[in-house]
Amino acid sequence: MMTVVSAELADTSVGPPRWLASPGKIVVRLLVYGVPTVMILAPLMSFLAYSFLEQKDNIVTGHLTLANYAAFFQSGSYLYVFFGTVKLAFVVATVALFLGYIISYLIWRLEGSTRYLLLLLSALPLVMNYVVKIYAMRSILGFNGFLNSFLMASGIINAPSKLFIFNQTAVMLAMAVIYLPFGILPIFLALERIPQSLLSAAADLGAKPGQIFLTVILPLSLPGSIAGALFVMVIALGDYLTPQMVGGSEGFTFGRAIWSQFGMAFNWPFGAALAVVLLVTVIALIGLASLIARKARLG
Amino acid sequence: MTRLERLTIALLWVVGGFTFMVLYAPALIVILFSFFAMKNHQIDWSNFSLEWYGRLADNSQLLAALYNSIVVGICAVVSATIISLALAYYMKTGVRRGRAYVEFIIFLPFVLPAIITGISLLVAFREIGLERSLITVTIGHIVLILAVVYRMVTIRLDTLENSQIEASLDLGANGLETFLYVVLPQLRSALLTSSLLAFALSFDETLVTFFLVGGETTLPMRLWAMMRTGFTPEINALVSVVLCVTLLFAALGAMSLRESIERKP
Repeated sequence: MMTVVSAELADTSVGPPRWLASPGKIVVRLLVYGVPTVMILAPLMSFLAYSFLEQKDNIVTGHLTLANYAAFFQSGSYLYVFFGTVKLAFVVATVALFLGYIISYLIWRLEGSTRYLLLLLSALPLVMNYVVKIYAMRSILGFNGFLNSFLMASGIINAPSKLFIFNQTAVMLAMAVIYLPFGILPIFLALERIPQSLLSAAADLGAKPGQIFLTVILPLSLPGSIAGALFVMVIALGDYLTPQMVGGSEGFTFGRAIWSQFGMAFNWPFGAALAVVLLVTVIALIGLASLIARKARLG
Repeated sequence: MTRLERLTIALLWVVGGFTFMVLYAPALIVILFSFFAMKNHQIDWSNFSLEWYGRLADNSQLLAALYNSIVVGICAVVSATIISLALAYYMKTGVRRGRAYVEFIIFLPFVLPAIITGISLLVAFREIGLERSLITVTIGHIVLILAVVYRMVTIRLDTLENSQIEASLDLGANGLETFLYVVLPQLRSALLTSSLLAFALSFDETLVTFFLVGGETTLPMRLWAMMRTGFTPEINALVSVVLCVTLLFAALGAMSLRESIERKP
């Protein structure tokens, strides 16, 4: 790391002290700190504030209330949907961790241009259009879809099955496919961070490849991989379009519940309160992820 | 390697290969469908045609949405780049106590679920009385891509020796001249990469845009609406085109990324 102090000295050595800055500098400072605050922090704050507003007869009255939160915690159905969605996102994250680890590990073992190419191939689905991917998943999972045709052609089932579309399984499968690439990259980076010297040392001391994997590679890469999987869980929790496209009425999720408050139900304060519940959950997950990642770096 | 280990690796490749297949299946199936007609929900393999691609050109709503997406993307990328450059350069030229604060704020929309960012902006726009339009969409996209652009600019700026800036200032250039003639030329490849990536993100953005869009829509919104009202084979053609265009952008981005890595001193 190089020092940046010298530039600051050159900046202030001539002229009045720092706190007595020229009007130009005050404007610059206002812009630098003001623009991100106004564009990002202020909207976030107004959304938080909105969750405490009272709504009566479809009109926001402006009175402060905790009724929106009370409505969530007292209603069995919203709580049920919330925990169902947490479970769903957890399953998606677990699938991403398991399959993502296998793919990352295989790529990590490779060398040269194949390695670069396969890594690129696993990241490429990230830039494929999101709406396109959900649409494609629907044409795969649908009643007359690709999966059913395939299973019928191969003689596994006789008639098209309704198991794969318009239920929680469909949402889980679609999200797992769409969000898996988000898991591969962090896991690969976790593997990359393992010092080569440790692997050589283990091999020199007589460990077999299987032993090296179980005693060196896996323990060192697992924390970073779990952090990556938690990131996938965060994304899956907030998704409200995939469940709408492939979930039908059975595949109702918390994201959809929030979305509906801003659409047809038109109860923004209640929707904001639901979103705050989501936000708190997400912050807890991110906190957990960074805790795990930091511990891995120190240990 | 023992036989068991070799067998395990082979088995892992089978699982990995299958997973790769599943990852690419959606795209491949859509592209395949776009060349054939459907009969009773089955593909009619005998009829290879480009008919659906031809019909695309007549769909004026779709073309308008495509145009909107490109305009929004360019405006968002240019704005985000200007903001990022100003912020990053300010942070570079001195010890800034507020750096952690600014970076924390900028990265928030990138880390939080899109639905949170969308609702925040929606509520804020209503509070200040700004009607939903392509302008609100563009602001939303700026907020989202700012983290990416800022990060890439900072990474490149951090590798720049401070002595270059000091030398330029010593030799009589003012701050603006130093920025334009010394710093900016060295950021060119970083800016190209971040612009491509940011444009791809904006072009694809759906979950935030949904909350901010007014009468005029962007391409993903239009696609969504078309899929809700009924599946027509044109969608497959359009989707294939969109896929190819984004892949092209991604390839360009990957190439310029490699270039900027190789050029790094």
